[in-house]
Amino acid sequence: MFERSSQLATIHARLPFVIIFLILLAGYLVVNLANFQFFPRSVRQEMERRGSAVTSSTRRVAAERGQIYDRDGEPLAFNSLQYRVGVSPSLVADASSLSRKLALILDIDEFELQQLATSDKLWQFIAGPISAKKGQEIAALDEISIDLERIPKRFYPQGALAGHVIGFVVDEDLKGAMGVEGAYNDSLAGRVLDLSISNVPVELPEDLPPDLRGQDIMLTLDRDAQFWVETELEYAVLDSGAFRGSAIVMDPRNGDILAMANFPALDPNSFLEVDDPNLLLNPAINEDFEPGTTVQALTVAAGLETGAITPYWTYNDADKLVVGGYDIWNRNFERHGVIDAAHILVRSVNVGAATIALEMGAENFYSMMRAFGFGQITGVDLFAEESGELKMPGDSNWSESFLGLNSFGQSMQATPLQLITAFAAIANDGLMRQPRIVRQAISEDGAQDAQPITIRRALSQETAKAVTNLLVEAVVAGAPAAQLPGYTIAGKAGTARIATALDYEEGYNSSIVTFIGYLPADDPQIVILVKLDRPDDYYGYQVAAPVFRRLADRLVILLEIPEDAVRRNLASAASMINSAGS
Amino acid sequence: MSENSYPHTLSRKRFNVRNQAALLMILGAVFLLALGSVYLSQVASFAITNRAIEDLILQRDELKYKNAQLIAQIAQFRTVPRLTLRATNIGFRPATNHEIDYVVIEGYSPSGGNTFAEAAKARAEQAPEPQYDETFGGWIQGQLASMREQIEAFGSGS
Repeated sequence: MFERSSQLATIHARLPFVIIFLILLAGYLVVNLANFQFFPRSVRQEMERRGSAVTSSTRRVAAERGQIYDRDGEPLAFNSLQYRVGVSPSLVADASSLSRKLALILDIDEFELQQLATSDKLWQFIAGPISAKKGQEIAALDEISIDLERIPKRFYPQGALAGHVIGFVVDEDLKGAMGVEGAYNDSLAGRVLDLSISNVPVELPEDLPPDLRGQDIMLTLDRDAQFWVETELEYAVLDSGAFRGSAIVMDPRNGDILAMANFPALDPNSFLEVDDPNLLLNPAINEDFEPGTTVQALTVAAGLETGAITPYWTYNDADKLVVGGYDIWNRNFERHGVIDAAHILVRSVNVGAATIALEMGAENFYSMMRAFGFGQITGVDLFAEESGELKMPGDSNWSESFLGLNSFGQSMQATPLQLITAFAAIANDGLMRQPRIVRQAISEDGAQDAQPITIRRALSQETAKAVTNLLVEAVVAGAPAAQLPGYTIAGKAGTARIATALDYEEGYNSSIVTFIGYLPADDPQIVILVKLDRPDDYYGYQVAAPVFRRLADRLVILLEIPEDAVRRNLASAASMINSAGS
Repeated sequence: MSENSYPHTLSRKRFNVRNQAALLMILGAVFLLALGSVYLSQVASFAITNRAIEDLILQRDELKYKNAQLIAQIAQFRTVPRLTLRATNIGFRPATNHEIDYVVIEGYSPSGGNTFAEAAKARAEQAPEPQYDETFGGWIQGQLASMREQIEAFGSGS
């Protein structure tokens, strides 16, 4: 009895502690329970994410890349499909039948396919990328175990036509590289979307928003003109023994590039097969060269504009002129006696050009060369344009001899596009337009026209007209092979020596020849540049001028430019109709 | 049967409070059942429609890609070398400048004119826009027809 009461006393003594302990424990649990109800933000977000993962899944949807067309709506770059095929072996009902069917479509060994179809893995890759046709044949099998993954593919239906201008795309993401694909990648690519797909069937399936797709782009290129220019250029390069060539056709009135060709050309469908990575570059804008004697025309224009010379200016030509300690010689060491500016252009007189530059003075000369756009990019909407190089007085590596050498296009670097842009300014009454390759961007909101951009006035209208007259004479007397019956052509042939580390190359295939001309001279509608590297013959008037004529002969038909006499008759007929109408 | 059973049986026949509650519960259950079946019918209808929409979206995407493939194929057939070859084979040759006659057409410009996008826009503007003309009565009829179809489908065991 005593023992029992002692136990009770002990229990009574300890009970408060037990109660307190239980109260504390309950309190701890209540606090934790409350804490459990109010999670930190990150935990709540994670739980929400896990919760929504049950009812929906997220799929990253790449936007459909915009398409590229020529100025008449002919497709130049398109989207196509390829497929990647896989199999889930656990879902295969009849492996031998499936393997037989797939083997017929994919041209893969049936036994190999059967091994994949009976593998113990969850998923097995079978083949890819395969063509859309094969992919659709496999889809038609309607096999639940077959997994077909779409792979977007860029396709260039015109093959190598304008390949350098269009550029190409890399990766499965179709990221644009080079040309229009590179320059307009952001517009063409559209918007990547993380689409939430509901697993609950009562929720309306989400369709892609219409503004997801990339913009379509319409180029200024004329596909037919581009084709003929490429064909003619290829023939010219092979026929002249040249190493390569470029040609550009531009509308001087608005800067539209109607054709831009290079040989060797690039097929963007198979750019990965190109051995030499330099062939991926567009030499018309990505590579510069010493432009040579075509620059004499710009020196004469600069002389007239600054007032250093007049159309009646003459000088007594010797075969040599020393500028800054450097001997400048005429072609074939010719001595011309008293000659005028026209004769300088007709006979490509280096000493004459250098004399004009000296009369202008370095400041005026370089100010005009900058006005013609040398040493700076034209701003054409193509990928990675080169700026060329024009060393200026004050630059550490400029010497006085450069004034003489630059006057006829040596010791300076320019791209073919810079050269044609400068000549286009003369053709457009002195107003320099920024060359452009995109005419229109088309999106869901409508079409947006690219407006012509004026870079600057390089020459006054009077000077431009005077230079055109001189250039007409330069063609008639200096490069008759460029003449096209029925048309008056203004132009200048050019020959450039190729610089080495010490001096210039000598011997065969050691020049770069060019011809730049525009027509009709009194109302220029196209400017054409032809450039050939290292042809067998040495001079531009021999090699490049005939190529110009052949191009012009075809282009006047394609671009509907009538002969001078017909054009004047049409103009008078049109004015008669207009006056009768009013 | 005991003597007390008769009055007890008689008393059970009375419509007492318990029976009222049971009836109400049955009525409630029937109502809930009806409501549930309407709900399920609607959900099934949505699910079927959404599945159909999803299929149509997939079908549209597939057709779009096939269309693009066809356009690309047409473009390949219309490349200049192919056209030139074909034209040469059937006896054509490139015209020379002297064989071309020019005529004056008011407002025509070889370098200007309607662009491809403008022509496409004009075509799109000509296409009729879909009209929404559903009435409430039409909607009710549609719902009833959908329910009937589902009941029939359920009845036929499909």
